[in-house]
Amino acid sequence: MLKYSLKRILLAFITAFIIITLTFFLVKSLPGGKIFAPQENTRLAFYFDQVEKGYVIDCMVESPQYGTLLEKITDLDNVDHYFYQTPILDQYFAWLKRIVTAWDWGTSTVIKPNYSTTTIIMERLPVSVSINIISVLISVPLGILLGIVAGLNKNTWIDHTISTLVMIFISIPSFVIISFMIYFFAFKGNLPLRWPSSDAATSQKFLGYIIPVLSLSFGSICGYCRSVRAELCEVMSSEYLILARTKGLTRRQAITRHALRNAFVPILPSVLAEFIGVFSGSMILENLYNINGIGDLYIYALNNKDYNVLFVDMAIFTTISLLAGIVTDLSYGFIDPRIRMGEKK
Amino acid sequence: MENKDFEFKTLPVEAQEETITEKDFKLVDNSERVHEQKFQTRPTTFFRDSLKRFSKNKSSVVAAGILGTILLLSVFVPIFTGGKNNDNSKEYAYRTFLEPKLFDAGTGFWDGTKKWTKIAVDVGGHPNATTEEEKQEFWWPSPDDFVKQAVSKKEFTETVYTSDRNEYAHGGYVQFGISGEANETKVEMFTTTYKELDIDSGDIYLKAFDVYDLDKLKAADGEKAFFPENYVQGEVSFVFNYYVEVDGEAEKKSVELLAKNSKFDISSLNLTEIIKADEYVTTNNISVFKNAYFSLELEKGDDEKHNKCVLIKTLEFETENALKDLIEGSNFDDANELMFRQTQNKDLTVNTKYWSCTGNKKLHMAQVIYCDFVYDSYEATFGEMEINQEKYPVTESHMKTYQRNKWCTFSYNFEVDDDGKFYVSDFKFERKSEKCPVTEITKITINDEAEIKIYGKVIYYRYFEFDSMPRYLMGTDKGGRDMFKYVFEGLRTSLLLGIISFAVCFIIGLIYGSISGYFGGTVDLVMERITDVLSGLPWIVVMTLTILHLGQNFFTFGLAICLTGWISTAARTRTQFYRFRGREYVLASRSLGASDARLIAKHILPNAMGTIITSSVLMIPSVIFSEATISYLGLGLKGMSSLGVILSDNQTQLTIHPYLLIFPAVVIALLMISFNLFGNGLRDAVNPSLKGEEQ
Repeated sequence: MLKYSLKRILLAFITAFIIITLTFFLVKSLPGGKIFAPQENTRLAFYFDQVEKGYVIDCMVESPQYGTLLEKITDLDNVDHYFYQTPILDQYFAWLKRIVTAWDWGTSTVIKPNYSTTTIIMERLPVSVSINIISVLISVPLGILLGIVAGLNKNTWIDHTISTLVMIFISIPSFVIISFMIYFFAFKGNLPLRWPSSDAATSQKFLGYIIPVLSLSFGSICGYCRSVRAELCEVMSSEYLILARTKGLTRRQAITRHALRNAFVPILPSVLAEFIGVFSGSMILENLYNINGIGDLYIYALNNKDYNVLFVDMAIFTTISLLAGIVTDLSYGFIDPRIRMGEKK
Repeated sequence: MENKDFEFKTLPVEAQEETITEKDFKLVDNSERVHEQKFQTRPTTFFRDSLKRFSKNKSSVVAAGILGTILLLSVFVPIFTGGKNNDNSKEYAYRTFLEPKLFDAGTGFWDGTKKWTKIAVDVGGHPNATTEEEKQEFWWPSPDDFVKQAVSKKEFTETVYTSDRNEYAHGGYVQFGISGEANETKVEMFTTTYKELDIDSGDIYLKAFDVYDLDKLKAADGEKAFFPENYVQGEVSFVFNYYVEVDGEAEKKSVELLAKNSKFDISSLNLTEIIKADEYVTTNNISVFKNAYFSLELEKGDDEKHNKCVLIKTLEFETENALKDLIEGSNFDDANELMFRQTQNKDLTVNTKYWSCTGNKKLHMAQVIYCDFVYDSYEATFGEMEINQEKYPVTESHMKTYQRNKWCTFSYNFEVDDDGKFYVSDFKFERKSEKCPVTEITKITINDEAEIKIYGKVIYYRYFEFDSMPRYLMGTDKGGRDMFKYVFEGLRTSLLLGIISFAVCFIIGLIYGSISGYFGGTVDLVMERITDVLSGLPWIVVMTLTILHLGQNFFTFGLAICLTGWISTAARTRTQFYRFRGREYVLASRSLGASDARLIAKHILPNAMGTIITSSVLMIPSVIFSEATISYLGLGLKGMSSLGVILSDNQTQLTIHPYLLIFPAVVIALLMISFNLFGNGLRDAVNPSLKGEEQ
């Protein structure tokens, strides 16, 4: 098990490394993806900093061999500086070195000029995480409960009602649901129209959670309900359950001791993955409800061409999805030792 | 039920012992040869069998029906709703935001009307508004529209005590207070400037003021005590005195502020002391107080005295004359005037900026006329109306066209008067056909360039070249586009994108998965690692990067989806190949010398195809879903409408025109639901062993 786990983690690490490298090259080669210097007065300092970090070359004369000129600045001593981008491959190694030695993932150029991207992410992460955690805490038990109810009452009106609702909510795109929730609860109702600012009253802050949490919960409640129901239905018709009943267990005993435990084998790993997933933000929700989380940051960085921030955000989303994958696969093994996900057949 | 023809009896013991001889047996068939019998039942194909299973699943059949209808609509609606007045690549400024209309007006539901409740209106019109823009700014909905087109209205008046923004109130007085809670210190209050600040002419800035209870002020220490806790709104308006130092001598001044309609009948007010001031400058000519608290004495009619504290945010004044201006500028009978009307007229001394303040403004004792009314946007756009001279005038060329079509006869004469100016002496107009847009001409004027202006009435749907009053099933958007056509055009794009990328992904995935699954071993291992890396990329990252690199067009979208979209099909194909490649018939074929390609194409693939195709077909809705999402993030298709583009474009209209979102949302939801149900049903039918799994 240990060997297997280590192998999985190592593989995921390599995969993440390859993906992030790929993303780095793709982002760096974006049209207009060159370094943008921030405000007028800090430019020189910014470029010198970039030169030191190895992303920019400082030439005394014009040197077209380095590609397009980023900017020409004459400093106070009347010395001309011609700034060029270093080749992307050199930038890549410089960047790797900065990460390993200083945990520096680059600096923001537009959103918060000259700030490190990690600082910006850390500022925005708590909001996203808080919303996600509350939503997970609500949606997982509720989803599982609804799934159990539907699964145990298979093919009755209860099951049909739940299944129909699940099908409807799973089929409607989240942005439609969020838009209409804002319309009905905030515009027509009394909830705040947007995410309350940090100096808003406590009651407003509390009310501000309702729409984001609900809209995040809908999808995952439906997802859990659906998979729990499917698993439970399958387990309920299995032979060992019939055996358990013939041996004299009551329906309740059979369900709690055998059916539920086996039905949860595939569910629990996804619950664990969900907890990993709290570190990523929902882009659409955060954009629509003006939440300053990292999902909103993604769109903001994208629209403002702050590619350094965008890149780090992408790296986070990638890492989280990979991490969630590992946790799912490994926890399968822990929960049910017979299962080895991804192992050779 | 018991079978009465047959009864089971226990034979007696003697009978059981009876021996059976050869004679007791009889051959069934004595013919020479026995032939195989043909199946009596009719043979069924795999497809027919699946169809039979599918049709048993009621919800899937219904979903298939809905899906088919939507597909047909998306193909035929854009074709049949064309015509010269319905080209969605153009914009039609005259018919923006028409409500959806299916039934005749007055039906009350889906009839192109909108019900407005409790809309504050002033039917008298704005006294100072001269241009159309100014009217629009202050009067909404525009009074013209309201008066003419309201199908029904109900009027009631109300005296408003506290209203933050009521643009139609009259009378009463304005009171400014700090906003919200008592501990909120960020107060930027009401700003009233008297003209532009012009030191030379001696103007005054009075920025903001508030009233506080002096007793509270004295009782507590610290700054927060200055803010009122149970400060009753609507009770106090006041006159206060202050001192101006001119040439070393303090002079007592009184300023009367908005006290006309106050409940508080204040007879006199005396400034007793300056309690605190952030900045306090007095020179020979200028006195400036900033954030100064004044204590003052309020006197009620019956000799009741109250101590109050006044906060002056900024008070600057220069000369004695300026003081006079302040008093004049402040005495407004109409609070509304003070609060909301911004005028550049130099004669009016008040320049009030409503939008620049974040403080709390309250209107007291003002009267507002509210109306409930039903507004028919179609009548307002297409009905018979006075000719709109500014936007849609009837020109001479229009009239010539109408004459040429023999809808009417029209002629006029003009002469030159003594000053050398033209004037129309007489005109003749006769309406000959119902088709003629102009119904009545009352007056014709002519300018120096001999261009005529025609006044009268015109039927606007005829003017815009419609045969009858148009009906837009889903309304029109901000560009005047017919949403019914636009939504289905968008749906067509979305579906096309979904189907094309499904086809491409399916083929790639099938080839990749077949090779990986058939050969296994090292080939499989390497190929699996490649898919591992690709599937680790979040789709949103892939799409963003592709679109940023290659632009927001249809091809790029397809490519972005296909870059990682084929992985799921490949995985399924691989699993199926693992399942079938060891079967006997494959082995038999191989031993007869079949090549790998033949084995894959002729033997394994046909067996695996049903499962693969049915579980991959659900990719189409997910592509539509992804496209809509990415459009929502601002990276949508450019120059083409898709459901996502429509939804994200109209997102901002949700509060005022919800129908712009409701219809596309219903279509996309219906599409998704029916696609999912249909896909599940199809999978169950083709692959009965998977039944019950809902993945």
